[in-house]
Amino acid sequence: MPDAAATAPAPADAEAALSFLTEMSPDLRGGAILTADGTVLAASSEAAEWATEAVALLSIADATGEEPVEQIHIATQAGEVFALRAHGFAAVAVTERFALASLTFFDMRSALRELAKGSGEGDPEPSDGQGEVDG
Amino acid sequence: MPPKPHRVLLDRVSGYADEAAAYMRRRRIQRKPFARLYYRGGRAAEYPADSTAGAELFVAANAVIDLAAKPRLVPKGRERKRP
Repeated sequence: MPDAAATAPAPADAEAALSFLTEMSPDLRGGAILTADGTVLAASSEAAEWATEAVALLSIADATGEEPVEQIHIATQAGEVFALRAHGFAAVAVTERFALASLTFFDMRSALRELAKGSGEGDPEPSDGQGEVDG
Repeated sequence: MPPKPHRVLLDRVSGYADEAAAYMRRRRIQRKPFARLYYRGGRAAEYPADSTAGAELFVAANAVIDLAAKPRLVPKGRERKRP
């Protein structure tokens, strides 16, 4: 098992990944990038609050099924929430209503892949096209 | 007398644009809130808002949406200085 300290990405890398997401998705209101254990690496506002709410969302989603969820898409009247687990990280993003889900997930997956490449975490190119999921 | 070729083309493009605009209007009006979860292997599940799991997901999602509306906090000493 690799040393977590050696493979943990620098906060600057996570900030860069979040900036990439913000740049790529004009509908994005805010978001956060977390490690598999729920530690916030980068967030658009208070990191501690993102840790609480994002982990709660992922936990509730996991509890609804028998296996860990990989993607979450919740559309409400106030906006849309996207969450993705891939490459040993998790990304949560909030967008305006009617954002294109496939593009948003694609951008989130790209950001996490680049982050994983930088940190050596996970498999940057999974054989099945799906990211690893760590509950 | 047949219409000029460019008129036909313009009418056709306008027709497509009208169709697209109508589709977007219908989508905005008719689309209801939903919660969709996707699992490995492509399996997906949808939870209506009136189900127990759906209600919990919507509460959690609304908390995240409220969080995204908050402004970013800049640590002291890292504020951007205006030129």
